Amino acid sequence: MDTPPAGRKVLCIEDEHFISELYTRALTKGGYRVETIADGGAALRAAQTDNYDIILLDLMVPTVSGIEILRALRGAGRVPPLKAKIIITTNLEQHDDVRADIEKQADGYLVKAELTPRELIHFLDTVK
Amino acid sequence: MDHLNRLRQRLLIYTFGLLALEGLACVTAYYLLDLYTSLASPLAAAASLGAGLLLALAAAYTFSKLVIAPIRALWQAVLHLSPEEQGIPAPTLDNLNFGRELVTSLTTQIYQLVSVAEQAKTENIAAAHDLSRNFVAQNLPLPLILLDTTETIKFANETAARYVGIAAQDMIGKNVYMVLDMSFPSEATFDTWLKAVKSKSATAAMSWDRVRLNVRDNHPTRLFDLAAYYNRDNPDRNQTMLVLFDHTKRYSQDDQSVSFMALSVHELRTPLTLLRGYIEVFEDEIGKNIKDPELQGFMLKMHAMAEQLTAFVNNILNVARIDDDQLELKLLSEDWSSTLKSSIEMVSLQAKVRGITLKCRIARNLPAVGIDVLSIREVINNLIDNAIKYSGSSKVIKVDAYLSQEGLVETTIQDFGLGIPTSVMPNLFTKFYRDHRNRAQIGGTGLGLYLSKAIVSAHGGSLWVRSKEGQGSTFGFSLVPYAQLAETLKQGGDQEIIRGAHGWIKNHSLYRR
Repeated sequence: MDTPPAGRKVLCIEDEHFISELYTRALTKGGYRVETIADGGAALRAAQTDNYDIILLDLMVPTVSGIEILRALRGAGRVPPLKAKIIITTNLEQHDDVRADIEKQADGYLVKAELTPRELIHFLDTVK
Repeated sequence: MDHLNRLRQRLLIYTFGLLALEGLACVTAYYLLDLYTSLASPLAAAASLGAGLLLALAAAYTFSKLVIAPIRALWQAVLHLSPEEQGIPAPTLDNLNFGRELVTSLTTQIYQLVSVAEQAKTENIAAAHDLSRNFVAQNLPLPLILLDTTETIKFANETAARYVGIAAQDMIGKNVYMVLDMSFPSEATFDTWLKAVKSKSATAAMSWDRVRLNVRDNHPTRLFDLAAYYNRDNPDRNQTMLVLFDHTKRYSQDDQSVSFMALSVHELRTPLTLLRGYIEVFEDEIGKNIKDPELQGFMLKMHAMAEQLTAFVNNILNVARIDDDQLELKLLSEDWSSTLKSSIEMVSLQAKVRGITLKCRIARNLPAVGIDVLSIREVINNLIDNAIKYSGSSKVIKVDAYLSQEGLVETTIQDFGLGIPTSVMPNLFTKFYRDHRNRAQIGGTGLGLYLSKAIVSAHGGSLWVRSKEGQGSTFGFSLVPYAQLAETLKQGGDQEIIRGAHGWIKNHSLYRR
């Protein structure tokens, strides 16, 4: 990624308002530019513009699920491939094989309860 | 129509036989007369011969009138029915002088026989199309349902009847949506698909995973994969075929343990995420300004309790995994000293808020161990958490790590608190078991030791306890050096070893992060 971590654009797809509020605050302080969308369908349309460096994707979002968004963004049909890194941020516990399947398509898989906003920023700083 | 042809041949033979008999009678009459007249004059002989011939002709005429006509009528009836003979009319029985009743009855029976034969033939053809008499369709160990153009059930096999809990004859003739109340996991349902293919395609096939059958009464809920095949121009008008693949056992297990677990855990984790986030914001931004030591302590305790809750959620998940035999460990070569130190660091806050000091002694030059760091952290966390809970008024917990005589890396966690009465020792590692005496005073679920033992066992090590009531307890666990583990597996070059909760070893790359 050419853009330095500071100023990188993050799309936060998250329907839990308190969490997106918390993340937006932390990410902004960490030098990222953040846009938050709670609705899956709207988020997918926004993500398709490929106007972001990082997409934080919650798996349980309304109208279009996170899995469907991931599939649409990372599906074989998409030409050219999306340049944004997709990081799954979920609190949903998956079967190991389901999770392995998701991880194959995404660039990272984080359990939100397992990390604080500061740790999230540390992680995103390493995503290249 | 073979039997009709045979009948025709028989009748032909009989007719000729009768004609031959008739001829024989004539000839006999002639010879009898001849014998008699040879004694008289030749004129008389000629006269008697002529009379004999006349008699024979009269007899033949009468015979044919009487016998041939009825036979002819029967024969004609047969020919009339024969598929090979065209344009032969039905026999007229009204002008029969002799045996009309018998012939009428016989022809009626011939006609009846033929109609029965024809009916049997058409029924055979119908039966071949009727799947209810088809052995394969009926005994297929998969529920099979056929629908016609109006989505009415035309056939449901025995398996389907048992599966749905409704007798096959009660399903047939009903609209499929009245009989099967199915829930699909996504927007794409059977009826939307069927509607779409009916307007667009001549043939189509589709399958859905994890369909749920909502059944009335107390018939158990069924879960299955559904496959549907649509063929607009099916000659038997059975347009749509549904095949159900029963996965009730597998899916309901998922639903009950993992999915219910997943949802509960999700519900716990969301507020936990926020709690930990807010605590961090407070610590970072106003923590420095809090001068009151009591308030500082509250802040720390809040933080420690949030961490404890996070660990508990992970405990629940891991117990579910172990119970489902789904725990898989990725054993990597790790330095034990640094792993142990960082793990203790993570729980030190919980000790600190209770005024307990952790005294740690780690032997030098311990060999690298083959462990799944995340899981082993949970073991250390659980054992120290227990030591804190049962420390009573004692304020020291000792952690030691050393190389045992067997060449294993052994770690002990020792508290100087309540100790464990010998009576409860045998149940200590049982799920949900907690010391009765202390249940009211000391919180916990009884999952920690059960989980720790399972995790250590899955690593190929063992977990043990030594305790004396009133003097405290020592929990110890051993871990296998990575080199030894790799040696056992004879996979020296392989950097990764996968083990399940019950000790078996897998060789694929599933892992937990």
